[in-house]
Amino acid sequence: MDQPKQTRTVTVANHAGLHARAALLIAKLASEHEVALALVKDSQAAEATSMIQMLSLGAKQGDELVLEATGPRAEEALSALERLFAEKFYEEDDETKARG
Amino acid sequence: MKFADFISPEAIRAELTADDKEGVIREMVQALLDAGRIRKDQMESIVRAILNREELGSTGIGRGVAVPHTKHPSVADLVGTVGVSSEGVDFNSLDGERVHVFFLLISPPDRPGDHLRALENISRQLRNDTFCRFLKQSKTAEEIRQLLDEVDNNQFWS
Repeated sequence: MDQPKQTRTVTVANHAGLHARAALLIAKLASEHEVALALVKDSQAAEATSMIQMLSLGAKQGDELVLEATGPRAEEALSALERLFAEKFYEEDDETKARG
Repeated sequence: MKFADFISPEAIRAELTADDKEGVIREMVQALLDAGRIRKDQMESIVRAILNREELGSTGIGRGVAVPHTKHPSVADLVGTVGVSSEGVDFNSLDGERVHVFFLLISPPDRPGDHLRALENISRQLRNDTFCRFLKQSKTAEEIRQLLDEVDNNQFWS
């Protein structure tokens, strides 16, 4: 069954950008919600199942990404992803590094 | 960013002998020490930091490649090396594949941008099947150096 694609725009808020651990968290979240997820930066798309594709985006602090999710729980997944980006991937030392 | 900007040519190892995660990390950090890129009294601290980072989630990024890394205050610039294991090592990668190619990176704590650009460069090049395959099949450090050099000079995409 075809599922409609849901999209949401998020901003990379953390100081370190979309690095390896952040990409892993995104991959896990997409998998947990059983959605097919793509991250699009400018015109470059990365599948969330591929760390290599996500890291290839080189998304740094302040960059905007369009998240495209497909699946019955797409809305839920996008809301969770939005929180993940807003919470800066739960990087404890992010604030001090950003000011330092 | 190019490989030449962060890979220490003299620390490249084509025949890693370790068969587990900690062993590979030690072998590669030792290679950086032997190449004079890190201080001896910092070696243990760097190895621990890289292992601690792995605890947060594997740096196995797929296609048989891992990027073990850490921030460390003892380095002034991004320092990195490449290691190849013909046997492969279980690295708990997302795709479950054994890892044959390692890019180990140590970055100054205040320069996350350099680390991100190095990851971007590594990942972009790994999307090329030929580069990926040649890297895994490399038998000597010289072959790896040559391969990275060709990629840096865009000779690989033509």
